[in-house]
This record gives sequence, structure tokens and C-alpha cells, in this order.
Amino acid sequence: MKIAIFPPNSLILADLVERRGHEALVLQKEIRKKVTDAEIDSPPLNITEEEPIKGLKYAAIEVPSGVRGRMAIFGPLIEEAEAAIIMEDAPFGFGCIGCARTNELCMFNLRKRNIPVLELTYPTTREETMDVVNKINTFLDSLEDKNG
Amino acid sequence: MSPQKNPKTTRMIILGPSANISQTELVRKLHMMELPLTIKSTCYGAVIHGEEEVVKQAIEHIREVDPCNIFTKDRGFPPGDPRRCRAKRGGAREGFHQLEKEFELLDFVSKALENPQRVEIKKTKKVSPDLFKEIAQECEK
Amino acid sequence: MVKIAQISCGTEYSGVQKEIERAAATFGAEIVIPETDLDYIDEAYQKFGFTAASSGIRLMVARAMSIVEGKSEADAVFIATCFRCAEGALLRNELRRFIQQNTHLPVVTYSFTERTKADELFIRMEALSTIVARKSLLAREKQEGLTLGIDSGSTTTKVVLMENNKIIGTGWLPTTDVIENANVGIKSAMENTEYRLEDVDGIGVTGYGRLTIGKYLKADLIQEELSVNSKGAVYLADHQKGEATVLDIGGMDNKVITVNDGIPDNFTMGGICAGASGRFLEITARRLGVDISELGPLALKGNYKNALLNSYCIVFGIQDLVTSLAAGGSKEDVAAAACFSVAEQVYEQQLQEIDVREPLIQVGGTSLINGLVDAVSTVLGGINVIVPEHSQYIGAVGGALIVSGLGSRE
Repeated sequence: MKIAIFPPNSLILADLVERRGHEALVLQKEIRKKVTDAEIDSPPLNITEEEPIKGLKYAAIEVPSGVRGRMAIFGPLIEEAEAAIIMEDAPFGFGCIGCARTNELCMFNLRKRNIPVLELTYPTTREETMDVVNKINTFLDSLEDKNG
Repeated sequence: MSPQKNPKTTRMIILGPSANISQTELVRKLHMMELPLTIKSTCYGAVIHGEEEVVKQAIEHIREVDPCNIFTKDRGFPPGDPRRCRAKRGGAREGFHQLEKEFELLDFVSKALENPQRVEIKKTKKVSPDLFKEIAQECEK
Repeated sequence: MVKIAQISCGTEYSGVQKEIERAAATFGAEIVIPETDLDYIDEAYQKFGFTAASSGIRLMVARAMSIVEGKSEADAVFIATCFRCAEGALLRNELRRFIQQNTHLPVVTYSFTERTKADELFIRMEALSTIVARKSLLAREKQEGLTLGIDSGSTTTKVVLMENNKIIGTGWLPTTDVIENANVGIKSAMENTEYRLEDVDGIGVTGYGRLTIGKYLKADLIQEELSVNSKGAVYLADHQKGEATVLDIGGMDNKVITVNDGIPDNFTMGGICAGASGRFLEITARRLGVDISELGPLALKGNYKNALLNSYCIVFGIQDLVTSLAAGGSKEDVAAAACFSVAEQVYEQQLQEIDVREPLIQVGGTSLINGLVDAVSTVLGGINVIVPEHSQYIGAVGGALIVSGLGSRE
């Protein structure tokens, strides 16, 4: 299944999803499409005025351009998702996930899609981490069961 | 430039703190696969770049070496891209800090993978106002 | 090469990063990103003490701290966040203050949208480069010797002749032919003095026509208007230290500059609405049958609340005024309403985009209309507004002042 993860660039989430044979909808794939497009030259991310305008699909014009520009990248991933793992309070998501308002909107959009969602909090201790990993694996396996 | 038939991807291979192989071994093993890949040694492990299918193949093989301690993550920019190169612009890539932070948890993740447990996923419910009141009153005593 | 440290959130996702780098390169500067590692980000964020929800903004704090603590090298700082982001706006100003209070680096701030205007970026980057290159000149607080300042604006050309910290001659005329107008302006400034152009120790030029005139007169100083106007305004207002806002409600466009110790750090301009300009007042004066110079005193006697103004547009607004007069409204009230309407529009269109700091130094021809000055203060909650003498000559005065630091010309 295609699993949206949040933070969408999380190493741990993407890695665990892939281990269980699912596809993690990671942000880097969207970024790659942008940066390897030879037609556009707007370094560093090849994001131009177009993206904040495309982002109008997700947020009104009164919303800052940075939110809309980011939504233009996240939006397609959210739409593609068949399930989602959301980890709240993840520290230090910079760049693409450096904007709190965008993150709130992304998580909300994932939740309102009516797909299976696993809600987690970013772990800080050994116990919490192990619990999170086990929960993720249990969740991913249950998806397979439903699928099969 | 026409659209590429076999799009290229970039993957970071990250060695967990308790990995059984060293970074040099990791790179050597990747080279020994003799796949058409660009392989670069990095501070966290290695970065490989090549056609999607080939990258996938390499990832599958390399995971087998130490399943619970080798992690991988996609990367948007090709290796050494000047738009994001620290040497040129100063300041680390934004994604780097995230990697640094998650790295701190990798050892625990490895441990969990080594000892898998099926857990119940329960949604936490909020305490009802009545129960809250009751508890508050008890605490007052 | 001038190194401009960029401290920002959202530039890449708004598609303006390339524009910023292009603007910097145009003025011989390069954008650098201050170095921070993870522990340092945490430490800096804790130390600064502003709880921000967005980690992109926390990174800004760390980057600013890195500059203040000398961990990253830079000659100037550019701080930018998305327009309409409250968290971004708060931090933009707090970090600006933090850097200004703890370093001697010039700072320029900006709030951008995806439709960021190249002009506004260019003028900021040019100002930053100039401030770095001419730091000691800009520190000058007194004019010395005999110097000439020319401000060749898009609508008017202003000239002042200064001698030993005093204005001894002025020239003012509409711009039609850049060089010709400058010559007439110089003649007028020299008129009642014994001096000739050959006698001056230095010529400083600014404004849109500065390059043409500068070349023609072999000027000693050719400088963009942002830093020159700031300097001229704080000099005339005798407010060379601390913070201030310079407001110029022009005949056609408006400019607002925020300054710290006479050095500009933010700027906004606009010029598409006549209802927010001096033009509106000119037409009002004509409808009231008074000279523009009488409009201000008239307005001070009136109460804007008594004249109904439903539209700020120059067409419909004037119609409202006429209706008001026909309904028996007094000239005083109508004059006050017109002044208030312009002040409100300037607030809506420009002042909202900038952190207005007290005192506000109002300059330009419209600053002579005291009714408007009063309305600006009212609109801004009773802020202290200073209108210095010779307020319409700030650019020329700034030019004459700064160039006097270069010594005698050969």
C-alpha cells in the first residue's frame, strides 16, 4: 500500500514502511522531480511563482506564500495515500517541514481522508521508541491483513 | 533534454550506532555488487545514485548484511549537487539536521526490530469531566 | 565581495530564493547561510527565549545567534519571512533588533509573497552593499565645508547647497529633463550666495536620475535614495541615534523607511493609488477653492467625522466631498476628511507592511500640509510625528551631508 508519513521526510518512518513491503510516500520523491527537471532553473528547489499558485487548491490566497508553496509539494502525496502514519511533535523538521501552519494543514488533510491512520508522538526514550516501532509494525501488518 | 526513461534516484544508507559493519565495509560491499551505481562514502554511511530499479536491488542486498542496523532514506538532490552543497553555500542542508536528530533514536529502533512485539493500538481517550472532578476531589483530601 | 547572510523562512517555497540571490549578485554581493549545527540550534533557541511553533523560524533564531556570537562571518544581514505570517513577522523584527543591538552589521528586512517585486529586492540589496562599502561615510553626523546635494526624483528635482552644517541655498522644480533641471536647481541654490559651482568641495547625487547627473557633473558621490534619504531625514529631524520611521507621502507614490541610528533597515513603497497620495489633496484644495498651502490649516479647524467619505478613490472620494459640501458641510470638515482619508489609505497600503517606530519623521512636499500630518498621527494612535524644517529636501540634504565626508574635490 501507499503510506503517507508525517514528517514526510522521516528516516525512521520511511525505513519501517519499506521494511514491511509498503511504499512510503516520501517528500524527497517530489523534491527530486523538481530538482531534476532541466527545464526550470530556479535554484535551489526549482520552485517558482507557480507553486504557491498551485497551492491555492489547498489554502486560500490570504495564506502566506510559503504555506501554499509547500502545499503544492505535499498535496499530491496526501491525495495518493491509502494509509497514513502521523508522528506529532517531531523535532527539528526544517526546510519543507519547517512551517508549523503547513504541517497542521497536512495532518488535518490526511486525517479527513478517511483512510487508516496511525497516530503517534515522537519518542524520546528507549521504551517509547520501542513502543512506537512495534506500533508501526503492528499497524502496517494489519493493513496487509485487510488487503489480503 | 527529453524525459528520462529510467529515472534516477538517490538513497542514503545509514548505519545505526550498533551496526556490525564499518562504513568502509559498507562501501566496499556496495562496490562488490558491481551494479551501475554512483557510490559515495559519507559521515553517516553512504549515498548511492542510479536507476531506480538498480538502487532498489542494492538496498535489498545491503539490508541483508545487517537487517536491524542498516537504514535507508530517499534523498531529493543528487549527490554533491551545488544547489545544496554545504561547501558552497555554507549552512547544512535542512534535511541534515532532521537526520542528525533521528539518528539519536536509531539504536532504540534497532533494538525494537531485534525483539519484535505485537502491541495493541489503542486510542487514548480523554478523561470525562465527572471522573476528573472525582479525582481532583480525591487529591484534595 | 560583500557577504550578505540570509536569515529567512519560506523563501524557497515561495519561489523567491533565486530572485534574492540574483538581486544580491547585481550589486556585487553574495548570499551566505550562517552555519549552525543541531546542538547549537537548540542552545541558541533556548537562549533567545522566543517560543516559535515553526522549526524554520527556530532555525532563523540560531542563524541570527550564530552571527551575533561571531560563529559565522557576514558583512550584512538580510532577514525575510512570508508576508502575512504572524510568527514570521514577530521574529523578523525581534531578530532585526537583536542583531542591530549586538553587532554593527547593517540589516535589511523584507516580507515577501510569490509575487515579490524585483525593484524592492534590488533597492534593499543595493542599500546593503552601499552601507557596507560606505560605512564610515554614513556615520557622518555633521556637514562640513561647502557641498552640494542633488536629488533627481521622478517627479521633482531638489538641490541644496550646504556650508558648515547649514543650508544656505535651495532649488526645487518639477523633473522634465534630468540634466537641464539639475542645472536650473543648482543655479537657484547658488543664487543668493557668492559661490559658483567650481567652489564646492563635493557633489552628492541621489534619486532616479543620479547616474545621468552624476556622470554629467562628475559627482563625488552617487548613491541610492534609501540610505541617503534616511540620513537626510534623521539629520534634519535631529534624531540621528535610535529608531525612527521616515514617511514620504508623495504626489504620486509613497515611501516608508524604518531606520536605526540613521541606517535604513526596511522599506516599502507603493504608487498605484492616487487616493493615497498628495494628488488627492491637491484636487480637494481646488474643489474647495483654496490654495494647497491653506488646506492644512483649514483641516486642523475641522472634524473629519462630520464629512461622510465612503470611498477613498480619487474619483468617487472627491464626489463624496462635493456631496458633503452640497449638503451643507463646512469647508473645514471636508478638508479634514480629505486629509484623514489619505492618511488612512497610506496606513492600509503601506504602513501595515512595516513596523512603524516612533518618532515618525514626515517628509516631502505633503509634510507641509499640517492637517495631513495631524491625520497621520491620529491614524497611528497619536504617534509622535516630526516635520523637520526643509523636510521636502531630505534626499538633497542627505547627499550634501554624506559627500562632505569625502573631503575637498580636486
